[in-house]
Amino acid sequence: MAIPIIMPKFSMTQEAATVVQWLVAEGDSVEKGDLLMEVETDKITMDVEAMDAGVLRGLTVKAGDVVPVTEVIGYIVPDGETWEESAEALKAESVARAKATPVAQRMAKANMVDIGSVPSSNGQRITRRDVEAFLQTPVNGNDVAAESDKLRATPAARRIAREREVDLAQISGSGPKGRIQANDVAAFVLPTVQVEAEPAVNVVPFGRMRHTIAERMTQNYQEIPHITFTISADMTATLELRQRINAHAERDGSARISVTAVLAKVCGWALQRHPLVNASWHENGIEMHDTANIGVAVALEDGLIVPVVHDAGRKGLSAIAAQVNELTEKARFGRLQPAEVQGGTFTISNLGMFGIDQFTAIINAPQSAILAVGRTKKEAVVIDDAVEIRPMMTMTLSADHRIIDGAVAARFLHDIVQAIEQPDIMLW
Amino acid sequence: MLKQRETAGAREDSAETRELTYAQAIREALQLAMNRDERVFMLGEDIGVYGGAFGVSDGLIDQFGAERIRDTPISEAAIAGAAIGSAMTGMRPIAEIQFMDFITLSMEQLVLQGAKIRFMFGGKATVPLVLRTPAGSGTGAAAQHSESLEAWFVHVPGLKVVMPSTPYDAKGLLLAAIEDDNPVIFVEHKLLYRTKGHVPEGYYTVPLSQSDIKREGTDLSVIATSIMVPRAIEAAEILAKKGIELEVVDPRTLKPYDATIATQSVRKTGKALVVHEAPKTGGFGAEVVAELVAGDAFDYLDAPVRRLAGLDVPIPYNRELERAAVPQVEDIVREARALVEGVY
Amino acid sequence: METKLKESGLDSATLLEALRKMHLIRLFEEKAESLYALGKIHGTMHLSIGQEASAVGSCLALQPDDYILSTHRGHGHCIGKGAEPKLMMAEFFGKEVGYCRGRGGSMHIADVAGGNLGANGIVAGGIPLSTGVGLSIQMQQQDKVCLTFFGDGAANEGAFHESLNLAAIWDLPVVYICENNQYGMSMSVERACAVQRIAQRAAAYDIPGMTVDGNDLFAVYGAVKAAVDRARTGDGPMLIESVTYRWRGHSKSDRQRYRSRDEVKEWMEKDPIARLEKALLSAEIVSEADLEQVANAARKTIEDSVAFAEAAADPDPASILEGVYA
Repeated sequence: MAIPIIMPKFSMTQEAATVVQWLVAEGDSVEKGDLLMEVETDKITMDVEAMDAGVLRGLTVKAGDVVPVTEVIGYIVPDGETWEESAEALKAESVARAKATPVAQRMAKANMVDIGSVPSSNGQRITRRDVEAFLQTPVNGNDVAAESDKLRATPAARRIAREREVDLAQISGSGPKGRIQANDVAAFVLPTVQVEAEPAVNVVPFGRMRHTIAERMTQNYQEIPHITFTISADMTATLELRQRINAHAERDGSARISVTAVLAKVCGWALQRHPLVNASWHENGIEMHDTANIGVAVALEDGLIVPVVHDAGRKGLSAIAAQVNELTEKARFGRLQPAEVQGGTFTISNLGMFGIDQFTAIINAPQSAILAVGRTKKEAVVIDDAVEIRPMMTMTLSADHRIIDGAVAARFLHDIVQAIEQPDIMLW
Repeated sequence: MLKQRETAGAREDSAETRELTYAQAIREALQLAMNRDERVFMLGEDIGVYGGAFGVSDGLIDQFGAERIRDTPISEAAIAGAAIGSAMTGMRPIAEIQFMDFITLSMEQLVLQGAKIRFMFGGKATVPLVLRTPAGSGTGAAAQHSESLEAWFVHVPGLKVVMPSTPYDAKGLLLAAIEDDNPVIFVEHKLLYRTKGHVPEGYYTVPLSQSDIKREGTDLSVIATSIMVPRAIEAAEILAKKGIELEVVDPRTLKPYDATIATQSVRKTGKALVVHEAPKTGGFGAEVVAELVAGDAFDYLDAPVRRLAGLDVPIPYNRELERAAVPQVEDIVREARALVEGVY
Repeated sequence: METKLKESGLDSATLLEALRKMHLIRLFEEKAESLYALGKIHGTMHLSIGQEASAVGSCLALQPDDYILSTHRGHGHCIGKGAEPKLMMAEFFGKEVGYCRGRGGSMHIADVAGGNLGANGIVAGGIPLSTGVGLSIQMQQQDKVCLTFFGDGAANEGAFHESLNLAAIWDLPVVYICENNQYGMSMSVERACAVQRIAQRAAAYDIPGMTVDGNDLFAVYGAVKAAVDRARTGDGPMLIESVTYRWRGHSKSDRQRYRSRDEVKEWMEKDPIARLEKALLSAEIVSEADLEQVANAARKTIEDSVAFAEAAADPDPASILEGVYA
């Protein structure tokens, strides 16, 4: 009998995913573990894998669709069985005894409905929607009919619909008794923005990632009182160190280290010495983090993602480098797992490779600081009353001024510069 | 004329904190207030050498003497009256009613005299009084020693009602209540007396009529009072492991109640669960819900607002029945989860 | 009575002032009654006509900064303590300039600045408060006394017993004056009290108790003076029962089925004002003309107070919440 393909849930708070593309097509044969499709959540892009071997049939979603998690999006028909046979079997199964999802079971119980009397719409499992549909079916009177005519929507859903000028009647609700909730309206509104964009003004529709970035940047910039500090470091020692380690890496095949990896190590070390920079602002107090988890901003073609190197202060350079490389790679291909982008306590954003001399960055709440790193370029500097040419790098720290006073930031940056100019200090 | 010494800032003097129990925090506030202002004194049953029924005033009689730590006969009407009368004429009394249940014997004086004297006299009298009283169930003391009667007093214009949930708040709110020029009913929970928390040294106040977010979260606002605050936080920690983040809002002052913080919280989460120990019908939770629904949170509600409160029953003696009569951690977990997951 | 007059040590100016106040009380209440009948003032009122000697005689024993607490039948105490009739009348009319800014009315008139901590709508409501006032005086080591009035009905409330006990164990400077006017609404003292004399109850708290003729200014003054002096020197509280009679019904709605016209008539013959006037005349302190002048002056004061109150402004409705909280 055909095996349903379910839109998987990737994080506890996730309610839906957008289909980016099918990697296979109706009628294709797949093996267990083959990649079926790419989907996008508000954070990351994920793959959906085949749970069984067989032929794909009955695919119900297409690229761009926003699909609630746990919904059936197609079937895998096992070898030796035809889709028609499978469909028959599904129907028979449905008639005999459809299985109900836990949510459907709870809902049926709460509404005092016998789950066995609820028909399954997909012939496989009785879902929440089936129970809702059942509850709205008129039994034998006008009351129920009248009830079901009334559009159910939460006040929040009604407000958003009002603000976005959306007709609630066009939206199907995912809440109890088909109640339209805020998320339903939001999910309905997003695609229409793309459709309704007027070509004349060249509005480029944005995806979930851009939407999320926009919201967070605005909020962080508005809510956190930023203060910035700029300092330059002589990169001579760090570049030498990097050369030595990379020569060694060449020989034993370990990870080559980048300037970003060195900075992650340096920042992890310095954050342990300056706990206020490794902290989070809350209304009732300041949360001090036990470990320095360094987020490394990675620019993507259509946005930005910040994978996290956990406990960078206590990790070796090589381990950090390997992790930075791996995370960067994953980020570029949208393969990051939720845990790999969460829990950061500090962020490094390096735009040196793009030739930027210096810039300021917006703090990524609930973190309290972000280090914006520019390129390394040779400059004439005065050392012991003589002008010398040195590779200099300029960094700008944006700090949450509620937590971090000027002197705290200055001492932190001083340690960063010292560690860059004299890396062995981190061994002391 | 007894005089008040110089006033410290509204926030804490020093950042020095240590762990104190809720009872110790209250005792420290009493000590600070009596050291600072000679007009402050205490009266109540067994508060002297006995140290109070729950030990809150333990040792204070040695420090301040029997004049200011004044044992009274078992005369709740007279305790309330003596407190109000002295408050009207220049003192700043702190009365203790040994169990909130016994406040029924003080009701006339509190409600018909203390609460409205100022208004009845055209604003020409002041009643700076604090009435401390231990409330709540969980001690096996059954129906006449377990009452949570805060809603009665919330309904009386002229009274203020404060219910701290942490040692920090207990100290800061008590000092604010003592500074306040109105009669304040200060409701302490018996089960909280032994709970510990960070309490700064020195004098500080927590402003009255200001709610506090005790835990931040995104999925559901739990507005809880007194003992239900730590229970809600415990429930939140359990649900956090399942990816559900509760925001716990503690009104702290029930009257005059400022719904701003709860409203902001619900505007963020879209959902609200109101939790208190007192019986549900006519309870303070109804007021919280009404403020949300009638106010600026309405357009942000994405689910019905629910109440979880004591059953409409006197507190039973049997341990299991007693537990069942008021919300427990598992009840909060269940209700919160149902609201967040939309299964209700 | 002449003997008591001499023993009282009160000079003639003080005695004339006492007489003036007794007239003010009676005239104020008679005026209030007629204004009520004319529909100019509303609500209800409890008149103390016939009890003037008890109020004035008690207050005569006080210093200006001593405190009193009063009852629902409190106009006499208020005037006795020195309140201005025009501000009382304005309160009756519910005007902003009234003692309580029109918020209290007849039953809650207070003159906090003048030491009158308020009439009280609750029977025995003021008794525990006065115990607190006594405590406050004692703790602040002030040279003050608190005098609290209550009726025979209040003596059967629990608050009376709790408060007297507390004042006794702490030796508080409070004088408890029970104005026994024979009825708690319709319930006679004989039917309501197990003891024959309410003053007997002092024995339960081991404090002095005393019963006096409440229609005799000198008897009241003498007893209260002794109690006040005693309290002021730190010897603790005392209970005085002042036996008197209210000529009017309990309140405006009383049909007085519980007593006979003869009984009322009998007590009206013991009119405290007439008794004082007679004593003053026979002691040759005043002339008939003087008495006439005192009564006329009082009448003028009350007429002026009505004119003042009628002309005064009502409270601004926008200020309704003022005074709920400090």
